[in-house]
Formats: sequence, structure tokens, C-alpha cells
Amino acid sequence: MAGSGGGSNDVQWCFSQVKGAIDDDVAEADIISTVEFNHSGELLATGDKGGRVVIFQQEIENKSHPQCRSEYNVYSTFQSHEPEFDYLKSLEIEEKINKIRWLPQKNAAQFLLSTNDKTIKLWKISERDKRLEGYNLKEEDGRCIDPNTVTALRVPVFRPMDLMVEASPRRVFANAHTYHINSISINSDHETYLSADDLRINLWHQEITDRSFNIVDIKPVNMEELTEVITAAEFHPNQCNTFVYSSSKGSIRLCDMRASALCDKHSKLFEEPEDPSNRSFFSEIISSISDVKFSHNGRYMMTRDYLSVKIWDLNMETRPVETYQVHEYLRSKLCSLYENDCIFDKFECCWNGNDSVVMTGSYNNFFRMFDRGQRRDVTLEASRESSKPRQVLKPRKVCAGGKRKKDEISVDSLDFNKKILHTAWHPQDNIIAVATTNNLYIFQDKVN
Amino acid sequence: MGQRDIVSYETSVRRKSRIRTASTMCRLDVESDVKGPEQHGNALPSSRYMVGRGVKRKLSECEDQMLDLPYPQQRQLVLDLCLDKLQSCQRRAEPSLHRSVLLANTLRQIQREMRQEGGPHHPESPPPAPATPCHSPELPPVPSDRPSTPVAALSSSLLCEDDDAQSTCTELPKGPWSEDVGKLPDLLFGSFEITNSTSYLTDLQLDDIFEDIDTSMYDPSDFSVLACPPPRGSSGASLGNDYNLKAFSTCTTSSSTLQMCLNDLDHIMEILVRS
Repeated sequence: MAGSGGGSNDVQWCFSQVKGAIDDDVAEADIISTVEFNHSGELLATGDKGGRVVIFQQEIENKSHPQCRSEYNVYSTFQSHEPEFDYLKSLEIEEKINKIRWLPQKNAAQFLLSTNDKTIKLWKISERDKRLEGYNLKEEDGRCIDPNTVTALRVPVFRPMDLMVEASPRRVFANAHTYHINSISINSDHETYLSADDLRINLWHQEITDRSFNIVDIKPVNMEELTEVITAAEFHPNQCNTFVYSSSKGSIRLCDMRASALCDKHSKLFEEPEDPSNRSFFSEIISSISDVKFSHNGRYMMTRDYLSVKIWDLNMETRPVETYQVHEYLRSKLCSLYENDCIFDKFECCWNGNDSVVMTGSYNNFFRMFDRGQRRDVTLEASRESSKPRQVLKPRKVCAGGKRKKDEISVDSLDFNKKILHTAWHPQDNIIAVATTNNLYIFQDKVN
Repeated sequence: MGQRDIVSYETSVRRKSRIRTASTMCRLDVESDVKGPEQHGNALPSSRYMVGRGVKRKLSECEDQMLDLPYPQQRQLVLDLCLDKLQSCQRRAEPSLHRSVLLANTLRQIQREMRQEGGPHHPESPPPAPATPCHSPELPPVPSDRPSTPVAALSSSLLCEDDDAQSTCTELPKGPWSEDVGKLPDLLFGSFEITNSTSYLTDLQLDDIFEDIDTSMYDPSDFSVLACPPPRGSSGASLGNDYNLKAFSTCTTSSSTLQMCLNDLDHIMEILVRS
């Protein structure tokens, strides 16, 4: 059943699957760095710190037995990026996959873009389930047959074989970014895409790798004057001329590519004035936006800063229409979080299929869902303890101060090593993918 | 959730020659400012993810104490943290421009506030430049005029690369922080560009010599010889670097002349080795 009516409180979330190693000693290369469903939701891609991409495919569920929830199983694994070395700077360029974005499907093959700090690659994932047999000049094992010995000719035929999924790099888009790439976004024109680093945004054609257009450049002439960087960028889901980018100062700029070739002048600037009662040394740091996502219908956009999620109406620049506190109990702990660097963590956020619920991650392997319509929110946990098949997740509660009730967890007991930075929601159904440090949890709504 | 041993989170900070350690998260123990060089099992981790070492990282209850401190002391604490983090930025394996900008902004804001209050509270003598292998004590203090600052950064990083190709070494200026912090962002931010050597050097206003370099054609494996020139002593090595870079400038992007360029470089290397 599609998740069209279900708000976060009508839906009961159940554990479905967990992927990844069980042991607690995490290999750094296995740390998940991005999660993305494709446009149909049939495929789920993850990227990790070791430069690998793992794609899971949803098994076609048995329609006559809806109780059997479809499962995601490994479909393809490949090494997307390798570490590189910048000899001038004596710096290693990490192979960590920063983002994966699926292209809309045009034929039998699937295409995705994956990027590390410096290079974007277009991968083709195709299936092969038949092979040719009966060549005239080649044996089955590949040895050549001497033409003189051939007495009769035959037509090679297709024979079924075990399904083989091949991933091949089709394009490599390199050398266009001097700073670390943080975002890629595919345009609704199905021809172009953008890539954003700390100071610049480039526009590419999907077919052309040796050229890109620079459309935003916020690098000051004198680097001493640098006070703001680009943190995320995304194309509008249906207006191919519109994109937004967010900054480390908490502002979002909407740009129209029809206005000029270089979109340094924004068309709209979304910024909320700071609440003076909340001012602290860390105000600027926590206002830095870590993710920006358009709603599927293109009327709203959502931004994630350190403590909150904000929904903006594209027609109103002065303030967001909705603000949701993710973990307000951390506001009094900002100094500690600054000291242990947690304050620089970049959380992502996502919409559900019909834009009624938004989701984001937090610490202690908690993640939060906010139902916009019903004005209710829930905190859930991705943990091994709640990993029995079809086990319903119990809402969690953090006790900010005062007397801790039963089943509540106090702020001081939260594990800041266990952070959920990456989450994804199936485009149509109530299926979510939540990445802990090195495990991928898949939850689904309860089927009665 | 598996409850492991809760070890209170500790951090250690180097101040000149003393090791000031903290038993609590925010070093709010004002009466015992300097502890001896204690061994702390869980020093502040590097920028890499702290991965499953079996220690649950959590907050301590000291945050409330922080808020009890008078404002100037709170501010000083944050300022100290800021400076430490900016310093450690240089040593990180994955430098982040975003993080450095946020830190620099916080620092500027605090400094501005301090200045507005009348100035008696300039930051104390700053921590020295980090003791990385490439630290070069002979390096003159960074001059105060702006245009030469990028050059100082370039020359210091070139010298550094001779000594140890593996470490990142944009040198921090010596001298009181209050004068040089303004230059700090430039030296920090100038080091964040990746790979495209043309734009890096152009930004540092050395267009004349290097404008026609395009390293996009070069296979990094060809650089293995050049990245680590034979140790010659500082003057010889820096001279060698100049030769290497000037040789680059004669190469064009045409693949037919690439081989010629590499032959030129081999030739230069032979000269250096022989002389």
C-alpha cells in the first residue's frame, strides 16, 4: 500500500533488514557515506568511505501474499573511486563517496552518478542473463578454431545464463573542482547536472566530460576575506532553470539560470533572522546548513542545520513556514559538542513520497520523523536490539533534565559516536533506509 | 544498547612547553589549571571518525559549570579551543575548508568583541607553530603587508615539501596571534585547493612563470621522481624545486611534447645529482 495517507503516527515502523558487519570493530572503509533510492524505489545504492558502491535490489514481492514484505538483496558491488594523491600539496584525495544520484531510467540499464571530493563518474549498471553459444570460429572456452577445419556453418543462438550484473564507468568528469565536492544534482531536463564544491558550482552535460560551465563562484579575490562556503546545492525537481544552494551562514539562495550565465546574483535569498535570545559563540556554526532538499512537488524546500529542520515555501524568503527541533536538548551542550567536534557533523534530511513527512538523523543511532500534517513527531532507534524480524520499533524519548522517567534516556548517556547522518525514503512506499556508522537498516511500515 | 565502560571524555592541549590536560570535557576546573603530563587513555581523536574503539563517547556534566563561569572566561575558553582547532586543521589528514571557515569566523567574532571592550584582553602569547617535521625555525616572521603573504605561504610549503613530502605544511606565522590571526585565514584557506596546480599557483599571483602549466595530462606516477627530489640540504633542495617548477613551465599540453618535457626533467635531475 502506498504511503499516501500515512503520517508518522499512523504508521508503525517495523524492522525489516540490516546490512553490514555485525561486529563492533568497524573498518573505516566500511563507513557508509551516502544512501539513495532510485526513482522507482526498486534499487537502493550506498556509498562508503572505501570508495565502493553497493546496490541492493528489491525482490519482486509476491502480490498474492502481501504479508511477505519484499526484501532488498545485493544486486551489484563495485569500486567506484580510488584514492589519489595530490603531489603538489602532499595531500591524499579521499576515495570516500560523497554523493550518489540516480539518473531517470531510459532503457534496460540503470545509470548513476557517484562522486568523491574531486571526480564525478557516471556508471552504467546492466544485466546480462543470456549468452551466445555456437560461434563458428571460436570454441566455447575462447580458443580460436582454424577456419580451414570448418565444414559447416551455424547461426549462434542465445542461451540463458545466471544473471550477471555488470557495472561499467561510462564517463569520468574530472579536474573541474579545486575544492571538495559536496553535492551533485541531476536536472529535470535529463541532459545536464550540477556539481558543487565549497566555493563553486559547475554545470555539466551528461555526455560531455571535458567541459563544464561555472554557474556560481563565491570565491573572493582575496582568500583572507572568505567567510562563507557553499554547503549543498540542488536542482528544482521540475523547473530545469532553477536551483538552490545553501551556505555555511544559514542562508539559501535560489538562482535562475535564465537570468545570466554566471548566477552569482541570486533570484531569491532565504534567510531567517537570528533569535537574539539564543545567541551564543556557536550561533554561526550551528546555523550552517548541512543539507537542502526540494519537496517532490517542488513547492517547498527543506534545510537541515545542526539543531533543526526548516521547511521553506519557495514564495516566502523571510522565514521558514515550519521549523522542527531535532534535538533541542543539545543546545546547552554546545561547548562540549564543539570541543569533541560533533558540532561539525553534517546531517542529511529527506522527504517521504507525498511530502507529508520529513526525516532526519541524530545521535545515539536515533532518527526523527516529523509529520507536517498532523504536527506530530517521533524518535526511533536503529539498533541491533530491535532487529528481530518485523519487530515494531518503539518510540524513544530523551530526558533533557529533571527526573528521568522509565524508558527515557538522559542526554548525558547519549552515545555521540553513534550518529545517523544519512537516511533515505522510498519514493512511493513507506520503506526507509537508515545508515548507522557501518550498517544499513531498512524499516517498513507494519502490514496487518 | 551495549553499555561499555564509560570513560569520561578527555582532551589534551599543548600550551608552549606545558601539557595542559583536562579531566573534564570543557576544562572548567579553573583551580587546577595545569595538571602534570598525565597519561590520558582517550585523547582528543583526530579528524577521522572515531570508530568502534569500544569507548562510548558521551557528554559529561561539566556543561553546567561552563555556564556558571563569568562571560569573559567563557569567551576565553572558546577562543582557546578555536585556536587549537585551527592549528590542528593543518595537521589533519582531510582538511576541511568549511570547518576552517567556521572556526575562523568564530575567532574573528570573539576578537572583535574583545577589541570593542577596550583591548586589554588581547589573546595571550599564542601556542607556537605545531612541531611538525617540516617546521623550519629559520623561517622569518610573516611580513605584515598582504601581497607577500601568499608568497611566504608558497615558499614555506615548497621548503616543507623537500623535507617531508608526506606532511601537510602550510606554515603558521610565528609571533603574537593578535597581529597574525588576520593572516591566518589566508594561509589556511590558500592550502585547500586540490590538484589543479595551475589555479593554485595563479591564485598566489605567480602567473608569469606558471600560467601555461596544465597538469591534467600528466599521469601522477610520472611524478614519483619529482615529488621527492634527492636530499640536498635546504638551499640546494629549494633550488632544485625552482628548477623543477621552471621546467614544468616549458611543457605544453600536447602529448607529443610530454615525452620531451619528461626528458628535460630527467636531464635536470641528472645535473642536480651530479653537481
